[in-house]
Amino acid sequence: MIGVIFGVIVPYIAVAIFVAGVVYRFVNWANSAVPLKIPTTGGQQKSFPFIKRTIYDRFDSPYTWWETVGRMILEIFMFRSLLKNTRYYLDRASQKDARWLWLFAILFHYSLLLVLIRHSRFFLQPVPEFVEMLSEIEAFKGVFIPSVYISGLAIVAGLFLLWLRRIFLSRERTLSLPSDHFALILLLAITISGNIMRYFFKADLAAVKELLMNLMVFNVGKAAAIADSIEPIFYIHFALASFLLAYFPFSKLMHAGGVLFTPTRNMPNDNRAKRHINPWDSDPSVPILTKGITVSGMTFTSKKLDWDTYYSMYTDQLDEIAESDYKIVPEEL
Amino acid sequence: MEEMPEKIEIRQRFPEWREMLKPVKELEEGRTSYLSTPKQVDSEFFKMPFGDVERDLHDLKLPENWKELFLEAMKDTLEKNRAFKLFMDICVRCGACADKCHYYIGTGDPKNMPVGRAELIRSVYRRYFTPSGKIFGEWAGARELTEDVVKELYYYAYQCSLCRRCSLFCPYGIDTAEIVWWLRRILSRIGLNQRFMTISIEASARTGNHLGLLPGGMVGAIQQGLEELKDVTGFDLHTYINKKGADVLFVAPSADYFATPHWFVMLGYLLLFNELEEKYGLTITWSTYASEGGNFGTFHSYEAAQLLNSKIYKEAERLGVSFIIGGECGHMWRDKHQFINTMNNPPKNEEWKKFWENPDLGELAEGLRGIRFDSYASGEHGWIHILEFTAALIEHNKITIDKSRNDHWTATYHDPCNVARGMGMVEEPRYVLRNVMNKFYDMPEHTIKDKTYCCGAGGGMLADEIMDLRMRGVMPRMMAVRHVYKKYGVNILLTPCAIDKAQFPHALEYWKIPIEVGGPMEMVGNALVLTAFGEKPEDRQYDLRGEPLGGEEDVQ
Repeated sequence: MIGVIFGVIVPYIAVAIFVAGVVYRFVNWANSAVPLKIPTTGGQQKSFPFIKRTIYDRFDSPYTWWETVGRMILEIFMFRSLLKNTRYYLDRASQKDARWLWLFAILFHYSLLLVLIRHSRFFLQPVPEFVEMLSEIEAFKGVFIPSVYISGLAIVAGLFLLWLRRIFLSRERTLSLPSDHFALILLLAITISGNIMRYFFKADLAAVKELLMNLMVFNVGKAAAIADSIEPIFYIHFALASFLLAYFPFSKLMHAGGVLFTPTRNMPNDNRAKRHINPWDSDPSVPILTKGITVSGMTFTSKKLDWDTYYSMYTDQLDEIAESDYKIVPEEL
Repeated sequence: MEEMPEKIEIRQRFPEWREMLKPVKELEEGRTSYLSTPKQVDSEFFKMPFGDVERDLHDLKLPENWKELFLEAMKDTLEKNRAFKLFMDICVRCGACADKCHYYIGTGDPKNMPVGRAELIRSVYRRYFTPSGKIFGEWAGARELTEDVVKELYYYAYQCSLCRRCSLFCPYGIDTAEIVWWLRRILSRIGLNQRFMTISIEASARTGNHLGLLPGGMVGAIQQGLEELKDVTGFDLHTYINKKGADVLFVAPSADYFATPHWFVMLGYLLLFNELEEKYGLTITWSTYASEGGNFGTFHSYEAAQLLNSKIYKEAERLGVSFIIGGECGHMWRDKHQFINTMNNPPKNEEWKKFWENPDLGELAEGLRGIRFDSYASGEHGWIHILEFTAALIEHNKITIDKSRNDHWTATYHDPCNVARGMGMVEEPRYVLRNVMNKFYDMPEHTIKDKTYCCGAGGGMLADEIMDLRMRGVMPRMMAVRHVYKKYGVNILLTPCAIDKAQFPHALEYWKIPIEVGGPMEMVGNALVLTAFGEKPEDRQYDLRGEPLGGEEDVQ
């Protein structure tokens, strides 16, 4: 029975929530307008040819589409902004910069990537060559028996380090919400249960693979039959992972996709070359405030100071300027 | 000068997360901006919702259905601005931004950490716009919107200078300036505005500039500048104002007409314009209608920004100029680089269109041929920064420079936040300074260029009543200045930003660094040899401050 619930029903629901949730969030973000082109410029802008830009400037203050893509790639794969991270010290000279956060984040995310790639063996038949190879390389095949996957241990270490920051650093402790701890605990539980299953209480991986292959082709009857034959330890890992999937779209974990949408990073710094049109103010010939804004049924309108109004307000002074032929000269003393 | 604290103590507090969700009980004096009065926000030219009520922070006198209005404005913001919505959703609270904020460094107040500041509104967002917040409440980091929460939002929204330093270090580019800017817009919909900035916004909406300067006053100020220049150079110089048919419209922040040390920069502009007209025939005009480069509306809301910057393209069109040069100002260049041509339609006059088909200065003045703007600008925008312009003049050998006239100055350069992080102009000013003076030293790398520290007074934070906050916020910048002051004997801090020039003299006095403040164009003015008027390099006896030049009485 456990097998059917956690092996068939729960994962289906979880994946459905995950897919629907993530799609909803993406569509939801995409539906919001981008009123202004607001890249955060982290380097020299494109300017006159004699003002030289380094390769860093081109990615930190991108001008072309390709440079912007480069910036995003560096951001996503190198955590470039995080790499710039430096602490504030009153006495700078005697302090050295440390970029622990970047290191822990890289450690965790790349381990996660490797772990996910390795897990693809459960979903793919035949297992791709490079997955096999990657697994063999990272396990230093032949050194330990059974093979020890470094990424599986590194991900636990990375998560612990990230969590310890939140527990022991006062600033981070203050600004951590329960949900921040929860996400880390959940990931720790998944990774630790995975490791336990691998090294101590082994599950029948062939059956697991068969289960997943059947789930993927919606062969529900067969999947249910197999599910009941798998050891319970597997379902701890599997249920937690299912829960993570379902939790994902509602949580801060959405930063994974959100980073693609961020206007301060994904827009080129070419404001002066290419005009950006605000979708909700696409013909700004008259300022919004002079058209009036409506709040609580009342409309508030600011008078427009166009040239004619301005002239009528300050006619004498402006005429005086006209009389002097629009020229200012020092007064004769 | 308002009272400044004798001693400041930075007390860092690390409350637990529940505490962070509760609104602060006391709003500290010296950090709380005054609320606007009807004079500013119920004006004919700047009418904000519920602006007709006299209110203070003890009694907000919010409209009856304020909660509904607040949430409505928030929903509107979420739809109108993807950045706001995204930044509500994707923060992971990693803490990378925490110590990047100069106000946090200076106050130690955990809600002044950029993430802390954003969480104030994020918690409200979770409560009313996300399922987890609705269900789990506090445990999901959500909180009810109460009047105390609104008060707190106001308090902290006006402790941010929109400098975007946190955005640079955020792995997702979360821009607190964007959150705070749009939060201020939401607050303005229930009648809460900050007095200092709305004084200037209203004045600019009514007269064309923040100071509320009328056409005659502006002419008088520029005239006085020309008189001072006559004393310094001995030449009868002139300039144009509201002149139709000029080649270029020049727009400077209005502080340049009066304030010190802005004034010396103004003299620098005038010298350069005269040399260019006399030598090449390039005519540059000022305008009383478009007399404000700065835009305090960019601290308030999209709509207020648009109301103020809508005048300039109109004026360019009316005068029939070919392009616009902008003066030394920080937030002005976020507005003029990133906002203006989205908020307004660019000019459509013939001269403008024709020039931008082949944007070579030679089209306007033959002698300047070779200086082209099309490597980065187009007629869809049409603004050039005065320092970019000057850098190009120097590179193409169009003006004559005598560096030694600045030998009594040892300078360092402060990058205004918006120029560095909202525009990316970091090398041009340095190029100019290296070419007009011999002694120029940069501050430590982590405090300049894109990583520059704010002066602590931008984004509407120049109000006198928050002097305590300002002096705390400027501390990281002052530490860097003190470093170069001790190491190189720097005696002037140069910055192309009007707000910096207003803030730094107080800050330097407070932090006991006995050096001057100025702008790069002042140095250009000093070094510029008016060859067209027959001036020789050794002719100039005084610098723009009226100090005798050269000789042995040099520094130290």
